[in-house]
Amino acid sequence: MKRTLLLTSALLLLSLGVLRAQTITDGLTMPAKTFCTGFMFQHDQWKNYWEGTLKRDNQNIGTLTTQTLMYYGVYGISKKLNIMASVPYVWTKASMGTLRPMEGVQDLTLSAKYRLMEVKAGPGKFATFVAGAFSTPLTDYSPDFMPLSIGMASTTLSGRVTTNYAMNNGLYINASGAYTSRSNVDLDRPAYYTDGHYYSTNEVKMPNVFDFIVDVGYHKGALQTEVFYTQMNTLGGGDIRRQDMPFVSNKMNASKVGALVMYYLPFPKNLAVRLSGNYTVAGRNVGQTTSLLGGLLYTFYFTKDKE
Amino acid sequence: MKKIYLLTIVLAVLTVISCDKEVALNQELKTLTPSNIDANAGTWKPVLLTSNAQIAVVAPTAVGSDAYKAELQAIKDLQAGLTKAQRSSIDYWSAGGVLRWNEILRGLVARFNLPPAPLANGTYPAPDAENPFGDPNFPFANPPYAARAYSYVTAAQYDAMKAAWYWKYQHNRPAPYNVDAGVQALMTKTDLPAYPSEDAVMSGVSAEVLKLLFPAAVEEITLKAAEQRNAALWSGKATTSDISAGLALGKAVATVFTDRAKGDGMGAAIGSKVLWQQLSDNATSRGETPWISLETPPRPPMLPFFGLRTFNATTPGVKAWMMTNANIVAERPAAPPKTASGEMSDEVAEVKWYSENLTRERLAIIHKWADGAGTYTPPGHWNEIASHYIEDANLSEVRAARAFALLNMAVHDAAVGCWETKYFYFNPRPCQMDPKIKTATGVPNFPAYTSGHSTFSGSAATVLSYLFPGEAQYFNDEASEASMSRLYGAIHYRSDCQMGLDHGKRIAGYTVNFAKTDGAN
Repeated sequence: MKRTLLLTSALLLLSLGVLRAQTITDGLTMPAKTFCTGFMFQHDQWKNYWEGTLKRDNQNIGTLTTQTLMYYGVYGISKKLNIMASVPYVWTKASMGTLRPMEGVQDLTLSAKYRLMEVKAGPGKFATFVAGAFSTPLTDYSPDFMPLSIGMASTTLSGRVTTNYAMNNGLYINASGAYTSRSNVDLDRPAYYTDGHYYSTNEVKMPNVFDFIVDVGYHKGALQTEVFYTQMNTLGGGDIRRQDMPFVSNKMNASKVGALVMYYLPFPKNLAVRLSGNYTVAGRNVGQTTSLLGGLLYTFYFTKDKE
Repeated sequence: MKKIYLLTIVLAVLTVISCDKEVALNQELKTLTPSNIDANAGTWKPVLLTSNAQIAVVAPTAVGSDAYKAELQAIKDLQAGLTKAQRSSIDYWSAGGVLRWNEILRGLVARFNLPPAPLANGTYPAPDAENPFGDPNFPFANPPYAARAYSYVTAAQYDAMKAAWYWKYQHNRPAPYNVDAGVQALMTKTDLPAYPSEDAVMSGVSAEVLKLLFPAAVEEITLKAAEQRNAALWSGKATTSDISAGLALGKAVATVFTDRAKGDGMGAAIGSKVLWQQLSDNATSRGETPWISLETPPRPPMLPFFGLRTFNATTPGVKAWMMTNANIVAERPAAPPKTASGEMSDEVAEVKWYSENLTRERLAIIHKWADGAGTYTPPGHWNEIASHYIEDANLSEVRAARAFALLNMAVHDAAVGCWETKYFYFNPRPCQMDPKIKTATGVPNFPAYTSGHSTFSGSAATVLSYLFPGEAQYFNDEASEASMSRLYGAIHYRSDCQMGLDHGKRIAGYTVNFAKTDGAN
């Protein structure tokens, strides 16, 4: 009964990675006094996972499925500064074995993105952004039931830098990297063993995380489409031992490739459909996840100067 | 305005990044200052030794001899140049060797408490004592193995401490810091005679017993033992001759225990495919649904012949400390409800209700007591609980060793009694009876009746209540909570829990009876 999970704290990060357009990692900002909001549904599943560096399956888990329904909203305070919020509800279940499914409201994320500079360069524009995000659990869920826990139960702060080059013909390339600091978490038990050491305390040190995303795409008019690569590295933590359970502070690394399409429908006006998918091509202490996401986002304009 | 937002974000990030997140690597224990040095412990009753004087310790050189003076000078020279690392070793061991070795032992159990991974052909390799570093490692320190390991280490330490006390008061050579004002006392100063060094005795007995039980951890064990002896030397507690005499005594006591361990029936506890089938057939022939493994691929039952007495000529059952074979059989709980009975259906229905009505509060209880794979096991949990009371009570090393030995001998006997019961009845788990039952913790790979957690906890709470009567209510409440956690988690019926808890308490009575007459009161 040993398996892995990536979901959870990484879940939010990575799902934001796959939602583009006015997300924390992209090269766009909402105009002032506009509010884009909606729901996204994400379906993740894996059958194989990496126990440390050893790839394996586990017939007492079968396929692990995580489904997330996320409320998402982004508001343009100004053309340069956007703020974002999201709240996911998460369901997990294993197709085999006896372990029970779990579900619940996971973590609130609040973030802000600021366009530091934008200059014309050649046949396009070059822009850089800085962003900060704060996340914290909204419910007292347990992080000690991996891979069925709905989250990591850690409060995080992250700082991000994004650079973007968008050509006048619609092609763009974007790169974004973030460092996420994670607070320690408390378990319901008074001791645990991880990373080669027995700890006589319920407090677990959570290693910090670095992630980056590189994406290439086309954005013109109502259409945005792109392909991307993301990498998440946990800066510390132990491996899942042979045939052991995964643990909240494991060194969870993942490399993913994916694609996205977002399209503003002709009718109703201001409603956008967003579809994306990604696949974990390499990892450590995570599941080899296939992830699919669909969302509907509606934009409200509280100003007359529409784009 | 925008700059303020940006600044706020940057400051918030920097604040969290710079926060101190370090979690203590070792148990935070206070410096041991025994309230009583138990000068008469050399008269207390041994567990396995024929007497506390069984292993002779020759008289030391006199305090006035040149050889001894040279030893004192050597300590002074060492103390003049102590490094930060050496001082940190002294601090670590100044909590007392008994508490430290217990912490080390809990860590070893957690490290080795991993079941073998299945092979591609659907079978499971058995851990091999002759190849302890292989995959799987040896041992698989599951709860019965762990109960036995905790009991061997702590009972051996207890006998070794009594022998040390006996010879200390035969030879009466004071500690270096009491002989020479130039030797600093870097641990708490006491009047306990130093020859043989109790720290060295403990390093020797602990390391030798642990190397048998956890052979793949030989390096870590050996280094810890050496560090304990060095800390005794550096702290001005013992000279090299105090230490060498202590080490020899500790190792000799260890031999008495390791000899017993090699022939205590553990080697036959796994059994064979033919014998496992017989257990199943016996249940079927009684008209019962026999237990089956709920893992995929099916895993052989955990240590089926750990408890059963003379099921087969080749499987004697692991020896208990305080109970005879007849005692073990006589204390076995009455049969569980027939698997086909209405009473059983009611029990299954109750488990299912808990499965479907999990609350966060019950989940916390389930996780608090889960103590499953990769942990120090329920016996380790009770050692961890005991460690806090032993620390707070300022017990001498010999009395602290007694507390852990009594606890762990009772818990080992509980493991034997519970495993005897489990495989005698071979009763199915709730989710075997109703596959719709989903569990909030892993289903252990052995029969349900009775609950191991309940039996371990009943026995542990009974011994700890005897040792710390003012806390009896707390220990019993914790034991009841541990017991019920298995029903909440939907892996045990209520009767498994209740009968197991009572069984554990009765089993502990044998150890408490020993304790009442061992001369320590």
